[in-house]
Amino acid sequence: MKKRILATLLALPLATTAYAEESSPAVKVSGFGTGALTVSNNDDAEFGRANQARGVKKDVRTGVDSNLGLQADFTINNWLSVTGQGLVRKDAQDDFGAEATLAFAKAKVSDELSVRVGRMGVPVFMISEYRNVGYLNTFVRPPQEMYSQVPFNTIDGIDAVWQHGFGDTSVTAQLAVGSTTAKLAGNLEAEMKSLVVLNLVAEYGPFTARVGRADGKLTVTGAASLDSLLTSLRTAGNGYRLPALNTLADQLVSDEKKASFTSAGLGMDWNNIVGQAEYAKRKTHSYINDTSSWYVMGGYRIGKFLPYYTHGKVAIDHAPAYSGAAACPAGYPAACTPTLRALTAGAATLRSAGVGQGEQSTDSVGVRWDLYRSAALKFQVDRIKPKNGKGLFLNAAPGFNHAVTVGTVAVDFVF
Amino acid sequence: MKKFISAACATLALAATLPAGAEVVVVVNPANSEAVSKDQVANVYLGKSTALTPVDQADGSAIRGEFYKKVADKDASQAKALWSKLVFTGKATPPKEVGSSADVKKAVAANPKAIGYIEKSAVDASVKVVLTP
Repeated sequence: MKKRILATLLALPLATTAYAEESSPAVKVSGFGTGALTVSNNDDAEFGRANQARGVKKDVRTGVDSNLGLQADFTINNWLSVTGQGLVRKDAQDDFGAEATLAFAKAKVSDELSVRVGRMGVPVFMISEYRNVGYLNTFVRPPQEMYSQVPFNTIDGIDAVWQHGFGDTSVTAQLAVGSTTAKLAGNLEAEMKSLVVLNLVAEYGPFTARVGRADGKLTVTGAASLDSLLTSLRTAGNGYRLPALNTLADQLVSDEKKASFTSAGLGMDWNNIVGQAEYAKRKTHSYINDTSSWYVMGGYRIGKFLPYYTHGKVAIDHAPAYSGAAACPAGYPAACTPTLRALTAGAATLRSAGVGQGEQSTDSVGVRWDLYRSAALKFQVDRIKPKNGKGLFLNAAPGFNHAVTVGTVAVDFVF
Repeated sequence: MKKFISAACATLALAATLPAGAEVVVVVNPANSEAVSKDQVANVYLGKSTALTPVDQADGSAIRGEFYKKVADKDASQAKALWSKLVFTGKATPPKEVGSSADVKKAVAANPKAIGYIEKSAVDASVKVVLTP
């Protein structure tokens, strides 16, 4: 009923068009959602999805994996349509907040080419555009080792999608240009300007292969502790004539710095075998680590049941490091060396500070049960092992560095 | 929940009136003179081609289930999942859904680029049969 009222309201501005065309619904409302309970076996650190402000400890939480999305598609005529999608979930703030995930007009230029203008999903991962639609995925949540590496969900700008069949192989090429912003946990804001994303997908029957590349200029603002560290590095660098400290500050600052994400993925749903794997490299000229991340998922369908196993890992390839001498030259003020050491030690903590910073691996086992045509029930157990620090855990106790087990039960639906 | 029940009832009702294996035929506008292969029909109904404008029967109806099974070798839930993926990524808008074969004929007769599927017994001069999968 609610759905019908909403559909009617959304349809009002276009009612004239619909009448003019004399065709039944020019508006289609659809939605997706997940209701989930998540629990962990430890109280030393919280487990959350990438960019969530809070996660789960020993007390069961609904907020980690539950969400609800609603979408309206308006077909204006045979070449023009408008799409809007809203998503409610817990993200950078610890309450269920709504965000506009899609808001674009799409023009069909030819049978093979369409152009969209507005806000689209940013296609940096294999499942980036439907990572929040649990029903469309085998696992409860995308492997966090990889999906934490880009905090952006959308791109505001223009994209072109070209789809062509080469024999039995269907190829989709997508080029998106624009900019994007994301609120990050801890009241930070990330912005990508001059963002260019290329996404190439080939589908051959049950097999899918994709490669993607995203380039842009990254700015992170609102990190008070980072800002004061940078100021202190420059003050000390100038005051003590230690240019290596200024160099370090320049390397750490994230002010329209070049950033890129290169990724490749394979998927299959062949006979009863389901598989998915991705590999990605992140590079930035800032304190955000250069990383390699990957995962492999395999499952075997037995009727309505699909047991699966996933292994994911993220490792730091490179982070800016102080390249100067460990102590101040003889004859410098006594405070110089302790200041130098404190500042470089502070800079070294950045590799594990903030969203998607840290190293860890996860082994997950689960089963998906397709209850009904458009609903699935999932059970999943994850064993997460942080490395060289707290991994991707949130609000960790000092010194936290041990494996954690997380359990989830989720119901996914689409309508 | 209400939708679930009504969908379930619709399935039961249709299953009762439509004998299993009742012949489904694919129809286009009589003005469309091009030949259409089974693969082309499958591509159109799975969102892989926009060469024709598909018209779908009601979600959960027996004829819809049979059509997708015969043409694309997908069951209703697989087809639903494929479409959900296209819809929620904003790649395609789902086919227009109508409630009966009579409405399919009306929609197909009104649009030279439309394609639909109906029971063989419902065929009349307003549409042209291009495929009996």
